[in-house]
Amino acid sequence: MGNVNVKQVDRVKQGLWEKSYIPEILRGLSVTAGHFFRNLSPNKSKRTIFTRDYPEEPTDYPDRYRGLHRLMLREDGQVRCVACMCCSTICPADCIHIEAGEHDDPGIEKYPDVFVIDELRCIVCGLCVEACPCDAIRMDSGVHIPPYTERSDAFYGRDLLMELGGLSQAKQGGDRSPS
Amino acid sequence: MPKVTINDTELEVEKGTTILKAAAQAGYEVPHFCYHPALSIPANCRMCLVEVEGAPNLEPACYSEVTDGMVVRTKSERVVKAQKAVLEFILLNHPVDCPICDQAGECKLQDYYMAYDAQESRLRTEKNQKVKVFPIGPEVLYDGERCILCTRCIRFCEEITGTNELTLIQRGDSAEIRTFPGKELDNPYSVCTADICPVGALTSRDFRFKCRVWLLTSTDSVCTGCSNGCNIHLEHFRNEIQRYRPRYNPEVNDYWMCDEGRLTYKEVHDDRLRRPMSNGAALNWHGVTETTRDKLNRALKDGGASHFGFVISPQASCEDLYLAKRFAGDVLEVDNLYLGGKPDGWEDDFLVKADKNPNRQGVNAVFDGLDQFGDIESLIEDMESGAIKNLYMMEKHLPVDDETRGRFLDAIDELDLFVLQGQHHAELSQKAHLALPACSHAETEGTFVNFDGIAQPFEQAFAPHGDSLPHWQIFMKLARAMGSPLSYTFVHQIQDEMFQASQDDGEAAQTPAE
Repeated sequence: MGNVNVKQVDRVKQGLWEKSYIPEILRGLSVTAGHFFRNLSPNKSKRTIFTRDYPEEPTDYPDRYRGLHRLMLREDGQVRCVACMCCSTICPADCIHIEAGEHDDPGIEKYPDVFVIDELRCIVCGLCVEACPCDAIRMDSGVHIPPYTERSDAFYGRDLLMELGGLSQAKQGGDRSPS
Repeated sequence: MPKVTINDTELEVEKGTTILKAAAQAGYEVPHFCYHPALSIPANCRMCLVEVEGAPNLEPACYSEVTDGMVVRTKSERVVKAQKAVLEFILLNHPVDCPICDQAGECKLQDYYMAYDAQESRLRTEKNQKVKVFPIGPEVLYDGERCILCTRCIRFCEEITGTNELTLIQRGDSAEIRTFPGKELDNPYSVCTADICPVGALTSRDFRFKCRVWLLTSTDSVCTGCSNGCNIHLEHFRNEIQRYRPRYNPEVNDYWMCDEGRLTYKEVHDDRLRRPMSNGAALNWHGVTETTRDKLNRALKDGGASHFGFVISPQASCEDLYLAKRFAGDVLEVDNLYLGGKPDGWEDDFLVKADKNPNRQGVNAVFDGLDQFGDIESLIEDMESGAIKNLYMMEKHLPVDDETRGRFLDAIDELDLFVLQGQHHAELSQKAHLALPACSHAETEGTFVNFDGIAQPFEQAFAPHGDSLPHWQIFMKLARAMGSPLSYTFVHQIQDEMFQASQDDGEAAQTPAE
């Protein structure tokens, strides 16, 4: 106990101005009021607070934020996914359910007849995106997973996931020139 | 006995042994595509090239026999270079469509690429395009681009089935496997070609896109399609059988099995009785055991054992049959035994047997002969005349034609008590006063004795469907409820006693060969 260093601090002596109480109260209120009015400014860049009017004013997510899944599309609008099951195999939460179907085009051959992601079960790890050999599944929709009132609303089917999708730059096999 | 040195391992092998087999004995894997132990050796894939000291060129290990004093290197620089070159050549026009290929995960080309090649393609022009999804037969699809032309399938059709459907057409990079004009790959063993295909060129239509192979769990089992009892890998995913694949057993089925047997897995999941039922209403086991006890007791008291029939099923395992024997003989004390099972079907001189029941020889062994079983025709007549008033039936099958089965179904309505204990609803569960769900061979363990008298064990693959139980456990439940001293808790207790009994009879149970 003897080793504890104790530093003695002298109390600040109050003068008559501080002791008269009212002027210092007013000075403090003026700081508060200044912040209040500055943050009401219509010019948002002049505001000094960091809270947002969520959800009217959504958060800006970083570029690599993992949000809702989306299924990318081929150039003709069909789903890029070939139902190879790599994503459902790697998924640690087991939230992807795929049933493969036979495609009419022999160049495509296999496509997902059923593709359902349980977004409530998803742990947003992004392994499905990394496993995908076709750049068919992505999590870069920039939309976070919304809250649901019904559990079944969280099952995102193939068509819903494709609505969020877009074109990919990656080349996909299956183009068959007439030989 | 020639002495041979393989990668500094010296060993003595039988005369006539190929380098590939000698290397396997020494513990070295020589990669190969076209070589299959049950087929002739064309040495056309060149994947198994090895360096033999003194020989000017690399030699195919699958074909070359060892000679005394031979020094073989399977991993020398020359060999590694050759393996890499061969794989690059094979992969030159390969579509690399592994994501949509059913073979991915059990593909030799994938494995060897990772182990021996692992380089990027140097092809700078368009790949050669060939036929895809070609219906080469009713059960098999052909993909020309994936094919590496190892000709295993052609040799299978020539040497194993003798049907000669397949051949190689064109030359060079246009070469493809095709059927001869007017033929298709429709022999009863056609899916074996998909099994032996080292790549995904031939794939099974039934298994197509159903499940990725790396998700499958494999359990050693026995096919229940006929009395041949082909050894199988029962491959399942999430409590559902996805496919049967033959398991090597030189005494029974070698590497093969028939297409019909492959599809019998569907019976395991179709039309299953999942809950115990009393007069069509689902019950739990507790309730149904008491009801069954009361009804059986009343039936025996009112009608006596002479009016009670008991149908044994050759679809059940030996363990189940043993308990059926004890239950019918010691608990119910019934003499009127009948033998159910499927009616005879077609047979050939290879694997398929006419007897479509996997365990008739098991019935023979457990019940000491088949003489004591009554004729099904006379059972139906007795049911119609009222001589049999109560019937306990294992499984839905009866070895009769549809017309006689219709008579049997009508005669059930005349019965005072009809207890069905089986896997399936069929038309019977609604008619049954009591329906007790039994599980299939995939959901329990046991033994089947095939037509040749070889006892073959099968293992449990997954948990029983619904509330179903193995037949022997159902018999135990009922026997306990009826106050019998039968006390089997584990299946091995039955096995010990049963095999002891059969050995006492001087009929030693043969251990199955792996």
